[in-house]
Amino acid sequence: MNFSDLLHSAMHDLLAPGASLSAFRPELTLCATILVILLAKMALPRWTTSAFWLTLLGIAAALWFAYPWSWASDAIPPAHSIFTGVLVSDSFSVFLRLLLLLFAILFTTFTQVSGVASQDDMTEFYVLMLGALVGMCLMISANHILMVAMGVELASVPCYVLAGTQRQQPRSSEASLKYAVFGAGAAGIMLYGLSLLVGVLGTAHLPTMSTRLAMLIQSGGGLDRGLVLVLGGLMLMVGVGFKLSAFPFHFWAPDVFEGATAEVAAFLSIASKAAALGLLVRLALGFSFHPDPAMLAVLAPVRHYIVVLVGMLAVVTCTFGNLAAYGQNNMKRLLAYSTIAHAGYMMMPVAAAVALVGVDMGEARAAVASLCVYLAIYLFMNLAAFAIVAFLRNELGSEDLREYAGMVRRSPGLTVCMAVVMFSLLGLPPLSGFVAKWFIFLSLISAKLWIVLAIGALNTLLSLFYYLRVVKVMTLSAEPLHRPAPTIPLVSMAGSYCMVLTVPVVLLFFFAGGLLNWARAAASTLLY
Amino acid sequence: MPDIRTLLILIPALPLAASLTTALLGPRLLRTRSHLPAVAAIALSFLASVLLVFQVQRAIDQPAAPAAEHRAGQGRAAQPIGFERVYTLWSWAQVDQAMPWPDQNAADTYQPASWGNFRIDIALRVDPLTAAMLVIVTCISTLVAVYSIGYMHDDPGYWRFFSYISLFVFSMTMLVASSNFVLLYVFWELVGLCSYLLIGFWFEKPAAAAAGKKAFLVNRIGDFGFALGVFLLWTTYGTLDFHDTWIHFHHTWIQTSIGVLGQTRLAHPEMFASGGLATAIALLLMLGACGKSAQFPLHVWLPDAMEGPTPVSALIHAATMVTAGVYMVARCMPLFAASQTALVVVGTLGGITALLGAITAITQTDLKRILAYSTISHLGYMFVGLSVGTLAGVVAGMFHLMTHAFFKSLLFLGAGSVMHAMGGVIDTRQFGGLRRRMPITHWTFLIGCLAMAGVFPFAGFWSKDAILLALHQRASLGGGAAVYQGLYLSVMLGVVLLAVYTFRAFFLTFYGPERIPPEAGHHAHESPITMTGPLMLLACGAFGLGAYFEWTHGFEHFLAATPSLAYLGQRAAEPAGEAGAHWGVAVLSTVMVVIGLAIAAVLYLGSREQARRLARLMNVFGLYSLSYGKFFFDEIYQALIIAPLVGLARLCAWFDQWLIDGLVDAGGALPKWLGGGFRPAQNGLVQFYALAMVLGLLVLMGALVF
Repeated sequence: MNFSDLLHSAMHDLLAPGASLSAFRPELTLCATILVILLAKMALPRWTTSAFWLTLLGIAAALWFAYPWSWASDAIPPAHSIFTGVLVSDSFSVFLRLLLLLFAILFTTFTQVSGVASQDDMTEFYVLMLGALVGMCLMISANHILMVAMGVELASVPCYVLAGTQRQQPRSSEASLKYAVFGAGAAGIMLYGLSLLVGVLGTAHLPTMSTRLAMLIQSGGGLDRGLVLVLGGLMLMVGVGFKLSAFPFHFWAPDVFEGATAEVAAFLSIASKAAALGLLVRLALGFSFHPDPAMLAVLAPVRHYIVVLVGMLAVVTCTFGNLAAYGQNNMKRLLAYSTIAHAGYMMMPVAAAVALVGVDMGEARAAVASLCVYLAIYLFMNLAAFAIVAFLRNELGSEDLREYAGMVRRSPGLTVCMAVVMFSLLGLPPLSGFVAKWFIFLSLISAKLWIVLAIGALNTLLSLFYYLRVVKVMTLSAEPLHRPAPTIPLVSMAGSYCMVLTVPVVLLFFFAGGLLNWARAAASTLLY
Repeated sequence: MPDIRTLLILIPALPLAASLTTALLGPRLLRTRSHLPAVAAIALSFLASVLLVFQVQRAIDQPAAPAAEHRAGQGRAAQPIGFERVYTLWSWAQVDQAMPWPDQNAADTYQPASWGNFRIDIALRVDPLTAAMLVIVTCISTLVAVYSIGYMHDDPGYWRFFSYISLFVFSMTMLVASSNFVLLYVFWELVGLCSYLLIGFWFEKPAAAAAGKKAFLVNRIGDFGFALGVFLLWTTYGTLDFHDTWIHFHHTWIQTSIGVLGQTRLAHPEMFASGGLATAIALLLMLGACGKSAQFPLHVWLPDAMEGPTPVSALIHAATMVTAGVYMVARCMPLFAASQTALVVVGTLGGITALLGAITAITQTDLKRILAYSTISHLGYMFVGLSVGTLAGVVAGMFHLMTHAFFKSLLFLGAGSVMHAMGGVIDTRQFGGLRRRMPITHWTFLIGCLAMAGVFPFAGFWSKDAILLALHQRASLGGGAAVYQGLYLSVMLGVVLLAVYTFRAFFLTFYGPERIPPEAGHHAHESPITMTGPLMLLACGAFGLGAYFEWTHGFEHFLAATPSLAYLGQRAAEPAGEAGAHWGVAVLSTVMVVIGLAIAAVLYLGSREQARRLARLMNVFGLYSLSYGKFFFDEIYQALIIAPLVGLARLCAWFDQWLIDGLVDAGGALPKWLGGGFRPAQNGLVQFYALAMVLGLLVLMGALVF
């Protein structure tokens, strides 16, 4: 193959219809938006709201490109790797990217409604957010170890800065620094683990790695290499666990959530977590699956390892999050522990999917679909919770739960929204949180992960007390005398924003079928 | 002239719209004009009901519609009997094949294809029985609504009252126009709710709140039986529709279901359940009727319900809602006729209630309660009439329902007028001799009393006579003749009591020395025209309605075109009404009334010393106390049912508070305690966090490798 052929094939890979560049248009749009925002700041320094509108426009354009217009008319296209195999474009990445971009639109609106992006550092805020978003898009479509490392870093580094946007407050800076230090540590361990894996297997391309892994197991391997692989996998899990805030890599989360603004906490708890779960699915299925049935059978010990690792972490994380949420009076800390618990719930279907690979591929896909359903519902629930905390912070100047006492008298609409969100996070019907948990538990049943199921169900019971405590304080407790009256009517920017988020929380219970179809489509091209 | 469908929809729709309008606009906008939407809507409803009767009469007179003839040729149904129309608005619930066809009857060719499809349509159905009920309900409602303008003025809940009244009229008209048992049940409950809301209208009075609660709870017992009856109907007949359902398919009519009271079943009486099943269905339905129509042993709520505003007592607790049970039994008459046992039970309960109410009414001192016990007694008469199970009996019961609606609402509104003038006092011991101060109320009340006592030629005479005659005829036939003979005698005896307590109340209120309680102040005068106007109109009805319908036979012929009643007429050839028996019964009952009137006049028109002496004499055997204490039903229920239930409730509360709550609190405290154990780990030191991460990694590695 001469140089011109090489060039030709590279051009073809890049430019042909449906090839790399066209599949990568949403990410490119985001990158272009970053540039335009920075240039606009230089060219039109007076136009202070430019960053907001440009961000919104850029994300909308990316959403337009990311929307799978062809799904309605044609069959869903099968997975194909792009950029010579470093990224993969399939329905799963399309779905998660759509979810991330939808979140980004809601989040950008949120920052404007709550006024967190103060005028002078607004540009930086949005640029950092968009940068992290690009990194997350890489994480969910990673097909190569390099992309894993790059995506995680690209998603993490802007977040460290976002956590410290309130420069004047020491707590914010402390949170930012802690996050950076902890993140650096985790990234170091993960990179070490990755290099171990790549070193033993001799490749960084995920599908090839699974082939090599199968061959290694088939040939008997040897204890030393096996130990190195186990260690490498564990260290890789540290990096992913850090992004997921899984126990015992969660320690940053409560401190960072408390120090950062509620808006940034919402971003970390939703977008960052969705991307991390996407990456976890990519890695877990990547190592445990091989298209060749013989090779697939050989990979059984790897699957067992992943199921035990992910399942154990899920159970521990979930239980820890729920237990630690007790007795928290700072709403952001409480929600931090709640998101830790939810990360635990969301890791459960990943374990179920891996357990079902090689047993029942359809059920394995259904398990991934249940994760997709959970993520979509979790997006609305958690964003609504943080939004209400942010709006009340603007009114009260406090994020202490005790200050919320008797809120129902002054702001009945907002209190109802909060109650709906809390009941949904708890998972009570007729709210969408129930649907989310329902599908996850179904996947656990089909994977026969009974212990995980039992502990998951028990955890739902555990979480009852602290979620309901929020509702109880807001409705039943007497109003404190010293507090200014926080009146947030539903007919206001903040109130209607809460409504926009709360209504789907209710409706997705009754119209869960549509969401389930999307999730099934998302999982339909995996494991081929 | 609007067609039947439009009229039938308008009749309930107008009051509903008025209710919603008043509820929305009443407190802010309408305020003292809150009666306008209600009165206008109910009056228009009345007009529509009258037009509906004419339309129905015209349809009966015309030959059967071509479509019906066509259908008759296709299905097993013979020529349809009577007149009915069903208008389906929309389908509420549908579950196909909700119940499998029982195997043992697989050979039964009567099973239509859709047997066991649970389908509930929001459908309105009209037949002469419904049309007659609609006119009675809307007519009384209109007059009571107008009366309430005067009675309720200055009340802070003025708009609330008219909103509730309109809601009641909507519910009641829907109840009589519903086309299946589920809708019947729904509106049965809804009129119960309206009754609850209106009894407790002055909820700041503890007695009113308690009375509302009592009415609601006692009705629950009856409604529980009714619900069970509906369930049993479903499992027995595989449908809950009254009517047959036909669909037009490929130019032919196909029968898709055979209604419980449909034409097909009426033409084939063997398709009705029989034996114990029929008795069970009928008695469960009767339990519901006992609750709603205040029959023994569930009659205890009605006297207390008098705590509500007097127009409510007149409309809901005398003329309309309490007759819903009578209407329901009349509607389901083929189901009752399928079991002689059930009919006897209905008659016995009715007879007991009639005597019980009359005896209690004799010694009460509260004017409204006297009337309440008389209502209970009269409802008993209606059930006795229905229990005859023949066309004549049912028509007599319904006839009495109609005349009673007029004279009893007249009496209640008259009592309300007295109460209005007396500053809210209704105890007959505190006032008297009001005939000069309140001439219109006095004269209309007198007409009401004459009608209720059944004095010739007032309305009550004819309807009471019809019941007595039906009983007399039934007693001459075989099959439980002794029971009907007994009922006939007790009703005759009841007539004496009826005359005594009616005129006792009348004499106590309007005769004797004039006494006015201090609460009345300077307002002890005749009521305004909005109150006396309805009184006079009702008096006309109470005077002439019975005679008019008796002579024209209009009511009888109209009702006889109801399919389920026409079936009764077809089934048993009525014994030819001997003119001699007719006159004999009439003369005997008139003699009884005269005796009763004479007793009342002797005891209460003069010095009343004899009355007190008689009371003392009767009390030697405890009879006076028994009557005055209302047979101590409240006390007996308190001791036998309420006290044990309260004890059980206390036990449950204790159990809940100490054991369940304790467990839940422990469940909440344990994780909090466990969570507290983790809190020191979150100490804010990054070094420690890193250490924990590495330690965790090592533990995980240990767990995975070994």
